[in-house]
Amino acid sequence: MEPIIEMNGVSKIFRDKKAVNQLSFQIPQGSITAILGPNGAGKTTAISMLLGLLEPTEGSVRLFGQAPKERAVRQKTGAMLQDISVLDRLKVQEVLELVRSYYPNPLELTELARLAGLASGDMNRYADKLSGGQKRSLGFALALAGNPELIFLDEPTVGLDIKARRQFWNNVRQLSKQGKTILFTTHYLQEADDIADRILLFSQGSLIADGTPEEIKARIVGRSISFIAEDDGPRLRARLLELEPVIDCYDRDGRIHLTTNDTDDALAALFTSGLPRVSNIQIEQGRLEEAFEQLTNPQETELM
Amino acid sequence: MMRTLMMLCKTEILRIFRSPFYVIWSLMMPILFYVIFTRIVNTGSDNPGEWQAHYLMSMTAFSVMGSSIMTMGIWLVQERTQGWSTYMRMTPLPEVIYFGGKVFGQMMMNVFSIICIFLAGYLINGVSLAPLTWIYSGLWILVGSLPFLALGTLVGNMKRAETASGISNALYLSLAVMGGMWMPMDILPRLMQAIGRWLPSYPFGSGAWAIIRGQAPEWSNVLILLGYLFLFMILSTYIRKKQEAV
Repeated sequence: MEPIIEMNGVSKIFRDKKAVNQLSFQIPQGSITAILGPNGAGKTTAISMLLGLLEPTEGSVRLFGQAPKERAVRQKTGAMLQDISVLDRLKVQEVLELVRSYYPNPLELTELARLAGLASGDMNRYADKLSGGQKRSLGFALALAGNPELIFLDEPTVGLDIKARRQFWNNVRQLSKQGKTILFTTHYLQEADDIADRILLFSQGSLIADGTPEEIKARIVGRSISFIAEDDGPRLRARLLELEPVIDCYDRDGRIHLTTNDTDDALAALFTSGLPRVSNIQIEQGRLEEAFEQLTNPQETELM
Repeated sequence: MMRTLMMLCKTEILRIFRSPFYVIWSLMMPILFYVIFTRIVNTGSDNPGEWQAHYLMSMTAFSVMGSSIMTMGIWLVQERTQGWSTYMRMTPLPEVIYFGGKVFGQMMMNVFSIICIFLAGYLINGVSLAPLTWIYSGLWILVGSLPFLALGTLVGNMKRAETASGISNALYLSLAVMGGMWMPMDILPRLMQAIGRWLPSYPFGSGAWAIIRGQAPEWSNVLILLGYLFLFMILSTYIRKKQEAV
């Protein structure tokens, strides 16, 4: 099947700074993809090129097999950018009615309000008087107004509280079930892990990892065991490192951490090797944070 | 497409009338001036009736010119700095239609201003003109506001709303004074008269002054206004394109 999004060797250079470097990826219909990366990794630049707001310095961008600026593409695309913009002196309902009129098959106003979590009271308020969270909701509603097949969300949950954030992602999942393709950027790792079925990891303007959250985590993260030892010291550390399954040993938050690829083997070794007693053992799952740090840090130090 | 255009016009008009700034600047100021210079200050005119009609035209043109430059300009800057124009670029709405809606909304506002100030003239001084003269002069001022709307879009290319507001204010007031809207041209110093004749405000007022005296506006008025319309449109489009080419 033809991909909905296609980027081919795309670079973007601002003056002397290369914001995005040789990006190539495809996104099929119906997927939820997260673009993840630290600040300045090129996420927003990439989204802006996908939306036709920026021209790539080289390479090609295709949405639905066409240039992003084509009217037919715009009719099928909705986007929520970081800076939520509102026209002043208009009520929420009036803004939404206006924007709906730009599209051939807009979503019903009530449906829009429901999906974006705008209460009927909010609909009659002036858009520029809304709180930060409500402005985000309005931004989401604006993205959905044309009932798009492809939805871009640039850092959509910044400034939302936990409840609003959960509600937001529930709605995004619903949209995804309807077959809509969703691409979002985030620096909340947990969000990418929970929501996305695919993660594109950006660092320094390049795509450095591409896969399901599980694949990304499996690729680099060793799991870890942590505990407190009664008789801690250099001797114990040396003996711990001699254990077969243990890769690394370090301190964090007053606990000893062992990195390993197999926590079962490591535990067995810990108990059978006649080491001094250890207590308060915890097994920690590989977390995406760690993968994220491991993948993005080496490159940063390299640069310095 | 018609539905979109209607919605655009409707929302623009809503926004305009919800702004208190508009009412004060565009209506109160000119009407206040009108009262001062036709009722309070004795201008010593030989023909008070004609002066009252003449100054009514001046003030109407003054009002329409101001709201065309300022509202259009400042709002365009605001929409850009607040990111609304970025959002608009992502929608399928062609830019021409978006712009058309804005211009139409502004024109409707100008119609409203013209009616209000004409009515004020009638109520304050009992200015009476033939029905067709009212209509012609109103139409002249309405159509003649186009170059000033184009000037507004030029101001709208500025980076900050504060700058746009300051510059459009300065432009507006100097155009009004130098174009003979506040006081007749002959009172001004020679040099200012010489410059003033070539500014868009003078032919704008001049056409309306001719109409209430039962004459047709001079061709030179029409040509100068058209010239400015094209000049401002071309400049504005050029700057816009240059800014967008990132």
